[in-house]
Amino acid sequence: MGVRDGLLRLAGRVQRVQLWLAVVALVALMMVTVVDVFMRYLFNRPIRGSFDAVEGLLLIFVFNSMAATFFSRRNIVIDIIDSFIPRRSSAALIRIADVLSVLVLALLMWAMWVPATQSYAYGELKQDLGLPIFILWIAALASLVGTLFCAVAIALTRLPADGSLTAERPE
Amino acid sequence: MSPPLIGLSGILVLFVLLILRVPVWIALLLVGFVGNAVLLGWQGAFALAGTAPYDVASNYSLSVLPLFIVMGEVASESRLSGELFKAARVLVSGFRGGLAVATLAASALFGAVSGSSLANAATMTRMALPELRKAGYDDGLATGCIAAGGSTDILIPPSIILVIYAAVAELSVAKLLAAGLIPGLLLTGLYMLVAVGVAYFRPHYAPDREHHTWRERIAAMREPWQFIALFVLTIGGIYAGVFSPTEAASIGAFGAILLGILGRRMGARDLLRAIENSVVVSGALFVIVMSANLLSAFIVQAHLPELLLDGARAMNVSGLTVMIFIIVGYIILGCFLEAIGMILITVPVFQPLIKTFGYDPIWFAIIVVIMVEVGLIHPPVGMNLFVIQAQAPDVKIASIYRGIVPFLLAPLVLIVLMFLFPQIALWLPKALYG
Repeated sequence: MGVRDGLLRLAGRVQRVQLWLAVVALVALMMVTVVDVFMRYLFNRPIRGSFDAVEGLLLIFVFNSMAATFFSRRNIVIDIIDSFIPRRSSAALIRIADVLSVLVLALLMWAMWVPATQSYAYGELKQDLGLPIFILWIAALASLVGTLFCAVAIALTRLPADGSLTAERPE
Repeated sequence: MSPPLIGLSGILVLFVLLILRVPVWIALLLVGFVGNAVLLGWQGAFALAGTAPYDVASNYSLSVLPLFIVMGEVASESRLSGELFKAARVLVSGFRGGLAVATLAASALFGAVSGSSLANAATMTRMALPELRKAGYDDGLATGCIAAGGSTDILIPPSIILVIYAAVAELSVAKLLAAGLIPGLLLTGLYMLVAVGVAYFRPHYAPDREHHTWRERIAAMREPWQFIALFVLTIGGIYAGVFSPTEAASIGAFGAILLGILGRRMGARDLLRAIENSVVVSGALFVIVMSANLLSAFIVQAHLPELLLDGARAMNVSGLTVMIFIIVGYIILGCFLEAIGMILITVPVFQPLIKTFGYDPIWFAIIVVIMVEVGLIHPPVGMNLFVIQAQAPDVKIASIYRGIVPFLLAPLVLIVLMFLFPQIALWLPKALYG
């Protein structure tokens, strides 16, 4: 097994873990809201901090969902050009997009670092839960590291010869 | 170079990147980031790029997006579309074109629990196309019904596109979901008229023979009524002001899961697949909304809406003429851009412009979404048409193109009606929310 295959396999595991984190966050988000509604209408006792909880869980869901999206090449692309240019040219464009994905994700992480540190320095808190906001920034940045790793692994994969223009990936 | 010229150059680069197969999120982010850097300086551009992802990902009102996606995915996995189609074919049997009308009705009902047009077209192709072909329907009419019916999904709540539109245009999600209902139902009715018309003028396209008694028709509602009740509970709950959109979406997703599991329509594996797929689809959407924030900021800084407004004033054109140009623009854009891309690029430019001419932004949102629907079904690149062809490769794309043409009349009629009677979109949100 080459370095590239090993990297791809590891990225597969990383995205799987992040996919599960996203699933758990989504189910938790749904249940917090459902229980809050039931408690409010049946017992007039809504869950304290449910608004903050939904915002925090949504953030964990969103940033972790990105790894699976990148790993399975499910980002939205307008592929109308494929009908007009040779497959080899389409493959080259996909490669350029792969490299751009890595660079732009790195740029986002770099840009997010400053407000994350500011949030820590100012000691910002979620209003109802009292949760330090920098924890959410750390969660977002950590998830982005996983997404970036998946994007790098996908950029290094071979494109299959069957014309599907979808990179190989371990199931 | 003046800011508007920088803005126009940015939009041009954006189109080039999109055509060159650069993922939509990257194209939006790159143009937005570089454009902001040119207009605001690198520090300003970094500040926007650093905060936009966090702001979008922790935006409470956007939590409806993954929840509505879960609701639709669960409905797909629990074979709801099959139940709806079976019920609809019994309910509206007994006249020529009945099966086509049943397909459109099932699509609209499926749209009431699913917010994705492509998912609707894909599922209905699997469920309805074999039955339509078995009944001797022409391939063109059959696929035309499925493509057109699928497109109503983005108007009938819960609509993922309307939620994204609300985020981009800073409009109320609840008001937009209310505004989409009547136009969505009206469009379904217009599609049905087209289907019956085609069946009347080309009887060999729709050789219906089915007829059912009223007892059978009532019995047919036994299976899917629970899902219809779920729609009434969730969307009705938003309309009645009982639930916020996030609460309704949570109850809708939870209810769909319960109905799927308790009704033995799906197993644990199906449920997991539905949720995992929702995660992947949501990831693709959220990253686009994050990037769109940067592009919107760039468009505002470049004063592009003001440039268009000055141009319109210099040419002394009326608001109606501007709207006609916009609609024609959407038809052209629909030839090579997909739905979300169209909204993200155009709405920040056009919304301030139409507001200046006195048009209501909620009404305009519905006009835009109808035009996006047209883009989903009009050749050569209507996504719904490709989805159908991917599901049924033995149907020639030429038949699909031929079949959809008469259905294109319906959204255009609806647009005219919306101009004549803006209350079609505005009455319900006004009645509910003032």
